[in-house]
Amino acid sequence: MADPRRLDQLFTRIMRGLVDTGRAPHYAELARALNVPLPEGRQLLLDVMQAYPIGWLHPETDYIASFPPLNNLPTQYRVSVRGEQTWFAQCGFEATSVTWLFPGETVRVQAPCLDCGEPVVIEMRDGRLVTVEPASIVGHLNWGFGPSRGKPPFL
Amino acid sequence: MNLFRSEEHARRWPQFNRASEDGLGFIRLEDLVALFGTESRRHMLDADYLSAWYPRRAAERRAVLERAGKTTPFWMGTPGTP
Repeated sequence: MADPRRLDQLFTRIMRGLVDTGRAPHYAELARALNVPLPEGRQLLLDVMQAYPIGWLHPETDYIASFPPLNNLPTQYRVSVRGEQTWFAQCGFEATSVTWLFPGETVRVQAPCLDCGEPVVIEMRDGRLVTVEPASIVGHLNWGFGPSRGKPPFL
Repeated sequence: MNLFRSEEHARRWPQFNRASEDGLGFIRLEDLVALFGTESRRHMLDADYLSAWYPRRAAERRAVLERAGKTTPFWMGTPGTP
């Protein structure tokens, strides 16, 4: 396993990249940022994903698909900050954690209800719910926490 | 791991798992906010998050789930998995 400091550096680059742009960087960009050879950058990415298994690469690629609480691959959980919809949450549960990536900001999450298509909206600021529409919103875990991991249709 | 407009909406979802019925798979939004707002979550942008904070998440999650009365394997998942 790589040097934990290197993994921290790479993790922070990915998370910061997602927050700043809504997109996860490629390992080639990460390697350059960390001033390491490309193969080492790729291996560091693989090591980070192994150390952070709640995220995942797109199958048979080196592309970051999911890096919770945000997702590089669009989901129905659209996240807006300062009126700009730039981000996607990994799932409805992780959506409630995105607030911690934008301190001092109101984070809006809007998704279509998978039953009726009508909007489900929450707004949070520094971890507090400030808007819940409709008030009856609930979270639902379909398969249990272990088995749900990596089941994309249910995220 | 979805948000629905209400429990009734979730039950009408064509992919709804009947094993999650009887309230087993539902969680109040306030409990969800607590579960995903533990101390470690507040440090996701810290330079040492992966090495110092992420490993704490499993214990934090267990504590919140216990407070919320969700102590079944359905919610606890695989032991040791953050």
